[in-house]
Amino acid sequence: MRSNGFGFIAPLLVLMVVAFNLPILYMLGLAFWSKEQGFTLENYEGLVEAPVYLRVLGNTMRIALIATLANVIIGYPLAHWMRGLQNRARLIAIALVVLPFWISILVRTYAWIVVLGNGGLVNRALQWLGLTDAPVSFLYNELGVTIGMANVLLPFLVLPLFAAMIRIDDRLLQAAASLGARPSTIFWKVYFPLTLPALAAGTLLVFILCLGFYVTPAVLGGGRVPMISNLLDTLINQIPRWEQASAISTILLIVTLLIFAAYRYLDRRASA
Amino acid sequence: MIGSSAWTRRALAAAGILGLVFLTVPLLIVIPMSFSSAKALTFPPPSLSLRWYETFFGDPRWMDAMWTSTVVAALSSMAALLLGGLAAYGLRRGTFRGRDWAEGNFMGPLIVPTIIVAIALYLGLARIGLLGSFAGLVVAHTLLNVPLVMMVLGVAIREFDIRIEQVAWSLGASWWHTVRRVMLPNLAPSVFAAWIFAFIGSFDEVIVTSFIAGKYDTVPKKMFNELILEVNPTITAVATLLIAFTVVALAAVALILGRAGKLKQTIV
Repeated sequence: MRSNGFGFIAPLLVLMVVAFNLPILYMLGLAFWSKEQGFTLENYEGLVEAPVYLRVLGNTMRIALIATLANVIIGYPLAHWMRGLQNRARLIAIALVVLPFWISILVRTYAWIVVLGNGGLVNRALQWLGLTDAPVSFLYNELGVTIGMANVLLPFLVLPLFAAMIRIDDRLLQAAASLGARPSTIFWKVYFPLTLPALAAGTLLVFILCLGFYVTPAVLGGGRVPMISNLLDTLINQIPRWEQASAISTILLIVTLLIFAAYRYLDRRASA
Repeated sequence: MIGSSAWTRRALAAAGILGLVFLTVPLLIVIPMSFSSAKALTFPPPSLSLRWYETFFGDPRWMDAMWTSTVVAALSSMAALLLGGLAAYGLRRGTFRGRDWAEGNFMGPLIVPTIIVAIALYLGLARIGLLGSFAGLVVAHTLLNVPLVMMVLGVAIREFDIRIEQVAWSLGASWWHTVRRVMLPNLAPSVFAAWIFAFIGSFDEVIVTSFIAGKYDTVPKKMFNELILEVNPTITAVATLLIAFTVVALAAVALILGRAGKLKQTIV
C-alpha cells in the first residue's frame, strides 16, 4: 500500500513549526501575558495612552494610502498600455517591470537618494529649467518616503493587473463596438469592470506591504518619518520594551491577515 | 480601446512610458554614478573613476560581508530547495488531510510582514540563546526562501503529467525513486530557477538579518547600516554590483526556462 505522501512535507513542517510558528506564538504570549497576573491587556492600555503610538499609526496609514493610490494612478495606465503592445515591445516592457521586482529593495531605495538628493538628477533638472533657485528637499521627509514606497511596490500591482488584462477576450470589446458603443463607453462599461477584481486585489496587496514597510522609511525618512516598523525597531533594538513591541506586532499581524483574507477572496475571483 | 482617437492612444502611450521611466530610471542613474570620481553624489558625475570599486574590494569588512552573504545564501537556498521541493511534491501528489492548511503555513513568511517575522525570530532566538548565531541566521533565511521555492516548483509539478509517474510506479518504482529518476530530470529547469530565486532572495535579505545576525555582517546589512549613518559613494558601487548580479542571475533563469519553453508560466 502506497503512503499518503505526508513524509514529503514532514521535514519542512518540523522546521516551520519550530522556527516560524513557535516564535510567533511566543510573541503573542509576550503581548498578552505577564508573570504576575497571567492574561493581561496592560500592554494595550499603554498603547492607547501614549500619543506617540497613535501619531505613528496615523503616519503609517496616511503614507500607505497615498503610496497605494499613487501605485494605482501610475500602474493602471502602464498595465493597460502594455496590453496593447505588439509582441516584442510587450516582452521588453514586461522585462522592465520584472527586473526591478527582483532587484533588492535596499538598492532601489538607495537609488532614490541618488536621484532626489540636493545634487541629484531631479534637483539639477529643476534648477536648469529655472523652476527653483535652491534645491528642493525631497529626502528625509514624507514626500521622499512616499515616492520611494510607490516605486518599490509598483511591480506588485502592475504584474497581476497586466496578467488579468491580457486574459480579457478582445471579442467582448469588438462586440461592444459593433453594437455602437463609443470607446469611452467600452472602457468604462466593459473593460474596466472586468479588471476591477484584479485591481482591487493588487491594491490590497500593495496596501498590506506598505503597512509593514521597514527599509524605505528608515532610509528615505532618515528617522524623521517613523512608520510602524521603525517604531518596532526602536522598541526592540534601542529601548528594549519587548512586551510593547509584541503588542504592536500582534495588532499589525491581525490587520494584515484580515486584509490578506480579503485579498485572497478577490484574487480567486480575479483569476476565475 | 477599439476606435479610440489618436490623441487618446498617444496619451496612454505617454502615461505607460512615464510609468516605465519611473520604475527603471533610478536604477539606470545608479550605474554611471558608481563610476564617479566625486565624493558628493552629483549628477552627472564630474569625471569617471573606479575609486569606489577599489574602496569596496580593498576593504576587508566589505569582503567579510561578501563571504558571509555568499555562504548564508548558498546554505539557505539549498536547504529551502530541498525541504521546499519535497514539500511541494507532497502537497501536489499526497492524499493526507490538511494539505491546504500546511500550504498556507508554508507560504506564511511571504504573507506575514517581514518586520514581524524579524521580531518573532529575535524574541524566540533570544529565548533559546541563539540570537546572533550563524545557525539561527541560516535557518531564518531558509524559512524566508521556502515560499518562493514552493511557488515555482508547485506550478512545475502541477503541470507535470501524473501519468508519467504512474507508469514508473506501475513498473515497481518507489515514490523516492520516481522523484529522483523521473521527476527531477524533467523538472531540472524549474528546480534551477527556484534555486536562483532563493539565492537572490537570501542574498538581498536585510530586515531579518539586521535583527538577528548579531556580529555577522551581510552585504545588505552593512549597506543598510552605513546608509542610516551617512551616504557614502562606496554604497553606489555596491548597489551597482548587486544590480549586475541580479541581471546576470535572471538572464540565466530566462535562458534556461526559455530553452525548456517554460518562461511564460513562471514569470506571469
